[in-house]
Amino acid sequence: MFVVATCGLIYELVAGTLASYLLGDSVTQFSTIIGVYLFSMGIGSYLSKFFNRNLIGWFIQIEILVGLIGGTSSSLLFLLFEQVESFRILLYLLVSLTGTLVGLEIPLLMRILQGRFEFKDLVSQVFTFDYIGALLASIIFPLLLVPNLGLIKTSFFFGILNVLVALIVAVKFEKETSWAKFLKISSLATLALLLTGFVFSERIMSFSESLAYRDTIIYAKSSPYQRIILTKNDRELRLFLNGNLQFSSADEYRYHEALVHPAMQGIKSPRKVLVLGGGDGLAVREILKYHSVVSITLVDLDEAMTKLFSTNSLLLDINKQSLLSPKVKVINADAFQWLKEQKELFDYIAVDFPDPSNYSVGKLYTNSLYKLLYRSLAPKGIIVVQATSPYVAPKSFWCVNTTMQSVGFFTVPYHTFVPSFGDWGYIMALKENSYQIPSAFLPNLRFINSETFRQMTIFPKDMMALEAEVNKLNNQVLVHYFEKEWASYLQ
Amino acid sequence: MIGPFSRRSFFRKSAAALAGLTLPGMLTECAPATKLTKVAGEIKGGAASLGHKLRGEHALFKQAPSQILNYEYVIVGGGVAGLSAARWLQKNNIDSCCLLELESHVGGNAASGKNEVSSYPWGAHYLPLPNLDQEELLKFLQETEVITGFNEQGLPFYNEYHLCFDPKERLYINGYWQDSLIPHFGVPEEDQQQIATFLKLMDTYRKLQGSDGKYAFTLPVENSSQDKEFLELDQVTMLDYLLSQQLDSPYLHWYVEYCCRDDYGTALKDTSAWAGIHYFAARRGVAANAETNTVLTWPEGNGWLVKQLHKLIQSKVCTGALVYTIATEGEAVHIDFLDVKSHTTKRIQAKKCIMASPQFVNQRLLPEIPLRDQNFYSMYSYSPWVVANLTLSKPMERKGSPLSWDNVIYQSPALGYVHARHQQLNSHAAQQEKLVLTYYWPLADKDPKIARREALQKGHDEWIQLIMDDLTKAHKNIAQVVEKVDIWLWGHGMVRPTPGFIWSETRKKASMPFDNKIYFAHSDLGGVSLFEEAFYQGIRAAKEALGSIAS
Repeated sequence: MFVVATCGLIYELVAGTLASYLLGDSVTQFSTIIGVYLFSMGIGSYLSKFFNRNLIGWFIQIEILVGLIGGTSSSLLFLLFEQVESFRILLYLLVSLTGTLVGLEIPLLMRILQGRFEFKDLVSQVFTFDYIGALLASIIFPLLLVPNLGLIKTSFFFGILNVLVALIVAVKFEKETSWAKFLKISSLATLALLLTGFVFSERIMSFSESLAYRDTIIYAKSSPYQRIILTKNDRELRLFLNGNLQFSSADEYRYHEALVHPAMQGIKSPRKVLVLGGGDGLAVREILKYHSVVSITLVDLDEAMTKLFSTNSLLLDINKQSLLSPKVKVINADAFQWLKEQKELFDYIAVDFPDPSNYSVGKLYTNSLYKLLYRSLAPKGIIVVQATSPYVAPKSFWCVNTTMQSVGFFTVPYHTFVPSFGDWGYIMALKENSYQIPSAFLPNLRFINSETFRQMTIFPKDMMALEAEVNKLNNQVLVHYFEKEWASYLQ
Repeated sequence: MIGPFSRRSFFRKSAAALAGLTLPGMLTECAPATKLTKVAGEIKGGAASLGHKLRGEHALFKQAPSQILNYEYVIVGGGVAGLSAARWLQKNNIDSCCLLELESHVGGNAASGKNEVSSYPWGAHYLPLPNLDQEELLKFLQETEVITGFNEQGLPFYNEYHLCFDPKERLYINGYWQDSLIPHFGVPEEDQQQIATFLKLMDTYRKLQGSDGKYAFTLPVENSSQDKEFLELDQVTMLDYLLSQQLDSPYLHWYVEYCCRDDYGTALKDTSAWAGIHYFAARRGVAANAETNTVLTWPEGNGWLVKQLHKLIQSKVCTGALVYTIATEGEAVHIDFLDVKSHTTKRIQAKKCIMASPQFVNQRLLPEIPLRDQNFYSMYSYSPWVVANLTLSKPMERKGSPLSWDNVIYQSPALGYVHARHQQLNSHAAQQEKLVLTYYWPLADKDPKIARREALQKGHDEWIQLIMDDLTKAHKNIAQVVEKVDIWLWGHGMVRPTPGFIWSETRKKASMPFDNKIYFAHSDLGGVSLFEEAFYQGIRAAKEALGSIAS
């Protein structure tokens, strides 16, 4: 009884928590989930009058079903979150289904126990246990379960408890039940299933992963190329690729304004733009602020990324639906290979690759790639490359600068402070030594203006230019610099 | 009245819920790892080779050829030496030329293959930066745009897509993948000291020139200094040489033996010290844009160079041609061959014939001619090799350096493997979820005849077992992730530079032409099975053949 009550409330709490994790706005989520859940319990209670025979058998079946649906609910919700359009329907469907089943439990139980207790004792006992169970659930859920087990394991765990109740009842009341054998078998099968789910929940969503992130994970997907994780707290949404922070919604505008505007302002009516990497559409959002731009080609390896940022409503809010603009053409391809084959000239090229932390990304920072970029840049065009932190990894940063210069570019290194990243660096590159700090920037920017940018081009003493080798395919010195510098920083 | 859940709907709902739970990938991941009992693939070369298959055609060979063809020049053998000879003739405007190749493809030891995952080598797979005095080779590399120009000091700029990408090499030793093949991880100080001493010594040899003004060790072999003190090194084994230098570290010995097996397919005790030192001291290649010890490589290995050579002379090549007799007759040389496709025998009447075939083949084809007697041929021995191409999903890794171009396991009987997709630009881990690893194994631990016979008797399963046993040390689950293993058995993979062979009088005269009609071009004439040597031998023989016509 007690267990049943606890389980019932736990499912509700799981659904409420998940909804607020995934959809944000916890007050609304909790309120509507509780409402729907209680309403469904009402439906369940109403339906209970249609059960007339074999009450114990039905009770057992309902317990099994509650265990199955409730137990798997959080995994299902997490896994199906990608289908954003139908997510709410699924969420409320699961909530009402669980609610209805839980609503059936108490009336059926009371009727089963009807003949065995006096009515006033029965009502008193049943509801006492129910409410104590509820209290217990509400206390252990936030304090013990979520921090220690995580949502997925919690649901599986309570699913198992539900089914265990079913199993115990089925064994105890074997003689009073029709289809006892079937009930035992199905409860055992469900039990096995839930246990498997419990054990392998780390594969469904890595438990350790949720520990590694400070905030709640609201989206996790392994694309063929990377592990994409979105986390959220009250203030900000963060994107991680393979565990590395890509942006925080709180301050990404600083990073992206600095990536885009100094170069775009320096080009006389830029028309054709290329973005390499940057599948989040945030650089594109900034570029679209220039009305002279007629086409933006975005080349990002990972279709999962560009798709996510073209469909998910939370993310579309952040990138202002930039990837859906008719000016934008998204190409999912390897940038190196694509550049090697393409023949167009671009006025502005934003190169926003992940940091060169391994050899495959390191290739995208080599002189061979920069030669291809040189070839793809219009005579008066400008390229900007994100070039890691000149504070943490000065040698890496200046290596990118040296490498770009080695293929004939004139460079303008600059850096800015992005709170969630630290002091971050960029290399601007041109075919002529003609860059002038723009006297004016677009008026509707949140961060950058002429004076701010002038400061960005000043490197204090601890970030001064260092001698570095040219990064090549056959030496990959940048990966070595980067590893060394970041490793000592993170120690 | 029955409740809202009929029994059937109960079943249906449970089933639906169950189906919902069979999360994609989860079940397959949970499935117990079963050891593959049968891996796909086949054995090529060896007993399966055309040469072997056609041994029983003697009756046909006794009949008169069904067709007579006329060419000025015939080249027998489409390995690197033959292709290089053909290129040279082409450059000298020789049009009447035919290159006969037994296999269905040219390339010899530099053969390559391709599957849906990657191109891959079947043999030789890299070319060290050539020395600056190897002018013809440098020219060829320019023609093929491997060299894109020269700086003011005359140093070549190499196309950086062809230079071996970083990370280049790693060695699995003491449970860890260290970078570089020279053992250092967990190696005692004293052994490291010996390794350093040895490498320093080799560096001295690299720079050393003899009294004749020639480098002590260089390529082609015949350009090396003839000073007695260097040639004497050919009389002792590399093992004895090391010991004579008080170098006895097992780590050093393993490393030097690895190098001998890599270049010659011979063990330390079977390699001449001259040849052993040659491995370290003959390469002085420099570049404007790369370090000295860099190599050129391609997914299909030296198969890429073969393709470039083949492109130039394609129209001259006749594959599937099993030459069975060569004889001189008056002013002509007769080359009789079986055209495998039509199964008819043909004869070419030529003015000149360049034998770009190894000496163990020549022994069967040529009449007994001066110098080339039984004694001569018995000096030539060849090491059998096994090359396997493994197609697989990424295997588990041990700690240390990531997958590199060349991956070697310390104390393995084999040489480790080369990652065929290493030079691909789209190298993202996910784009390379499927790999082709080319596994090299010179059968150097036994007398080559015995090793060859034993190798021919082994079945596909046995080889796979041996290869998996070796690789499992470094990749625990490799047997579970391997999908296909194709094996090439090279019965006579490389000429063996055993002591006394390279600088014997017999070897020195081996390339002497016969009767101004038959010329010799093969890397085994130099005593080392290297691309540079083969390329040179081809040109030398072609020059001789051309010169004698002019005179």
